[in-house]
Amino acid sequence: MTVRHDRADGMRRRRFLTTAALGGATIVGATALGGLDAEAAFAAEPSLDPAIAKSTFVEGRITGITGSVLEVAGSQGGHSRVQMTNVTSVWKVRATTAEVIEVGDGLYARGVKMPDGTVAADAVWVNIVNLDTQIRGIAKNRLHLAHGQHELVGHVAPDASASYAGRALTSDLSRLRIGQSAQVLGAWRPSDNSVDVVRISVGH
Amino acid sequence: MLSLTTGLAPLVLAGLLGWTGAVKVFSRGTAQQAPKTALARMLRSSERATTVLRATGAGELLIAAGLLVIPANPVPGAAAAVLGAGFLVYLGYGRTMAPESSCGCSAREDTPITWRAFARAAVVLIGGAAVAPAQDTWWSAVSERPAGALVFLAGAAAVLVALSADLDRWWLLPLRRTRLRVFGHPLLGTAAGNHQVPVAASVELLENSLAWQAAAPVVRSALLDHWEDDGWRILQYSGVYGDGENARPVAVVFALDATAGRDTGDDPVVRVSYVDADSGGAVAVDELGAVPSRKSLPMAG
Repeated sequence: MTVRHDRADGMRRRRFLTTAALGGATIVGATALGGLDAEAAFAAEPSLDPAIAKSTFVEGRITGITGSVLEVAGSQGGHSRVQMTNVTSVWKVRATTAEVIEVGDGLYARGVKMPDGTVAADAVWVNIVNLDTQIRGIAKNRLHLAHGQHELVGHVAPDASASYAGRALTSDLSRLRIGQSAQVLGAWRPSDNSVDVVRISVGH
Repeated sequence: MLSLTTGLAPLVLAGLLGWTGAVKVFSRGTAQQAPKTALARMLRSSERATTVLRATGAGELLIAAGLLVIPANPVPGAAAAVLGAGFLVYLGYGRTMAPESSCGCSAREDTPITWRAFARAAVVLIGGAAVAPAQDTWWSAVSERPAGALVFLAGAAAVLVALSADLDRWWLLPLRRTRLRVFGHPLLGTAAGNHQVPVAASVELLENSLAWQAAAPVVRSALLDHWEDDGWRILQYSGVYGDGENARPVAVVFALDATAGRDTGDDPVVRVSYVDADSGGAVAVDELGAVPSRKSLPMAG
């Protein structure tokens, strides 16, 4: 059974991976709360994979899509080609697949540079924005936000989550208040300049 | 009603122009706001924009005074209409050439040009045109029908306030807050299953876990896929295990309690496995199994 070439048979693949995950090693403990003890974490020899250090980043607007290659015009000038693979993770509001990527989208990608200059992407984030805003209005499925001097509509995604005063993310958005400063992680909509709110942090 | 409107229009117009003019002329904010206006873009100089803004303010004050003092004279009304038309042309230009810039309409405003700025300029144009041919004085209109005049002025003031973006925080936000208080929070209970831990919280918990730290050198992608199975939340990543010749693509799968979050209290319990992408076999079972579990340090409070 191949894992990589099995998109069509998603359910079977998921069932297989579930079994693999549940049969895997159980590791108990936190890193953020406990002291960071690198030796304990890497009981085996630490894997200083040279490829990690060689990661490249690409950022800009997608000007064209040819097969599985994205043509990207950098916002500081320059041009890159990003090769999508079937193990590239794609984020566009949520974890999704490469089919939802469109020409005109903003892109931020991490990957490894190939000899021909193309970047083989490990992970791609589409239209991702991180905005410092103020909540100016709250409606059933959207937030009115002020970002600097701009009024901004934030569509509340169905799986949006909120963090209050640095606590864990929750799907309860009912504690948001008008007038609060809010850090919004979301996806920009190029068509009307609004934003899909994915994660909102207040009282941080 | 029509005579009341034309009779009191000079008063309303004078109030609006007097306010915006006074802000432009006397506010220290004028010089600070000037560089952000479309005018600065048009004149290619912030200093010139400041001068023009102050001069416009002085003109507005002059027209306002004229409207109040010589109401039956057509000159102030005509001047207001010309000013309104000028504002509309300027706003149209600003909107086309520099949509990001502020209009500088009341100099303190730092919101971009919106329909409200156009509507306010149109009020000045229409008001001026209505006032110019009027023969009545505003004080006779007030003395004849004081109650009607009061209602009209209150209504006109409300419309002008609603058209002024820089006054929003004085009325719009309190109004919206009151609406939430009266009708309840619109986002209460909208999320599917409010008690459920969102996937983002599971990812957050995972990234705080020892399991993540142990697997981080292998993981290459961001979250690739996730699903739930029998109370477990499975998070799938792609990665590469091994170096150089021995490097092979793997799927990295984590399984967490679907109800656990960073605030649940206990140490996160994560099951982790590397699955060879080609053969489907488990990889590095011994290495992962050798990671010792560790209790987090007790925190004060």
